[in-house]
Amino acid sequence: MFSFVSKRLSLMMMTKVCCFQRNFSSALPPLVPVKLPSKMETHFWYVLPDEVKSESLLSQYSELLSPREKKNLYHMQGDQFKKSALLARVLVRTTIARYQTNCQVNPRSLKFKKTIYGKPEVDWENGDKWCPPPLHFNISHTSSLVACGVTVNVPIGIDVEEKQRRLKNKILAFAKRYFSPDEVKLLTAISDPEIQRQELIKLWTLKEAYVKAVGRGFSAAPFNTFTIRARVVKMGGFHHFDTQHSEASEIVVESSDDPENLTRNWQFALLDLAGSHYAAICIEKENSAGGEAGVPMRLTVWKTIPFVEDERVSGTGAVVPISGLIKQL
Amino acid sequence: MFEQGRISSVNSVSLSINGKSFPSLRMRSAPRFRVSCAAKPETVDKVCQIVKKQLALPADTTVTGESKFAALGADSLDTVEIVMGLEEEFGISVEEESAQTISTVQDAADLIEKLIETKSA
Repeated sequence: MFSFVSKRLSLMMMTKVCCFQRNFSSALPPLVPVKLPSKMETHFWYVLPDEVKSESLLSQYSELLSPREKKNLYHMQGDQFKKSALLARVLVRTTIARYQTNCQVNPRSLKFKKTIYGKPEVDWENGDKWCPPPLHFNISHTSSLVACGVTVNVPIGIDVEEKQRRLKNKILAFAKRYFSPDEVKLLTAISDPEIQRQELIKLWTLKEAYVKAVGRGFSAAPFNTFTIRARVVKMGGFHHFDTQHSEASEIVVESSDDPENLTRNWQFALLDLAGSHYAAICIEKENSAGGEAGVPMRLTVWKTIPFVEDERVSGTGAVVPISGLIKQL
Repeated sequence: MFEQGRISSVNSVSLSINGKSFPSLRMRSAPRFRVSCAAKPETVDKVCQIVKKQLALPADTTVTGESKFAALGADSLDTVEIVMGLEEEFGISVEEESAQTISTVQDAADLIEKLIETKSA
């Protein structure tokens, strides 16, 4: 009896906190809510730190962070790095908060935890009457772009990298150390050093996105045990793809350790984002689409300055598909 | 390794005031707290140098044993490049599992010395 009463009370309190009006920060306007992606969709949000200039906005952003996040930020070195780290936390909190259509969720009240493998996820910690949305997210950032990918029901991993990124090590030495033999072969065959460098960075983002989607840490899927490559797909005619070539290329992953299982379930997209970055997205395919080839990733991309401006940019010049089967919405 | 991790965080909490760390104080207290041997200061210094170079940090940036790679602005690509640089510098080979446990410069230096020891054993 007592436990039932206290459960009800705590649920009511949770609801109150959850539906707490915006008194906490009257200066910030409400976030524009967004519907959750459907099961077959991926949402991708990004912020360009250079577009966020207002010191007062940045200071309001800082107020959204948890004490631990603030402490981490305090210890970071380098202003640009600190700014993008702040925006990464703000982006993930505000993005998740947007999808709560039942009641206004304060992005500041969101709690995060890590799986036993270290992958971040939301800690909903609510009463058992309320079912949290089966939302998956993943973030990645450089000092000039901060991104967050969102899916429903299936894991997602993303990675972004500046197109101009230079390695300190020699390209092939790096590839030999970290990539699979097939990937090294592919890179070695490229004679133009600049193209070689670009292909290495693209491959890196794809491999990172995959490991982050699998979510078991770098050591569970060492980079040299799996190969990612593009495979030309003959189109059946129904699906409309956005790639520039008449034959679409699908990105596939093959594992030398586990040839059958892991690898048929993952879908990739590689984009040229905002003219400045490569962005790789990896999501798990739903069971029903398991072995089926040729189903595109349905993708919606927004550029945002949280609380200030949201702009849907999928289908514009800001999002140029490089490879993978993609349908932009 | 777990104890080392705990001890180094105790050190950095007590000695990191307003973000400043006090390496000399830390070394003095080291014999009392450390169960196993910490890396030599020369090793830590070399790691700091490699890290500073990889991350292209401004000359006045403080990098010490306590410095966390994440806080210095190292992303995953930087981290693997740093590991590669360390492997070349010290003639060792770092497994992915071990690389994942490194979060500070000190962790890296300790691992390096352990690997050198194992190699020469």
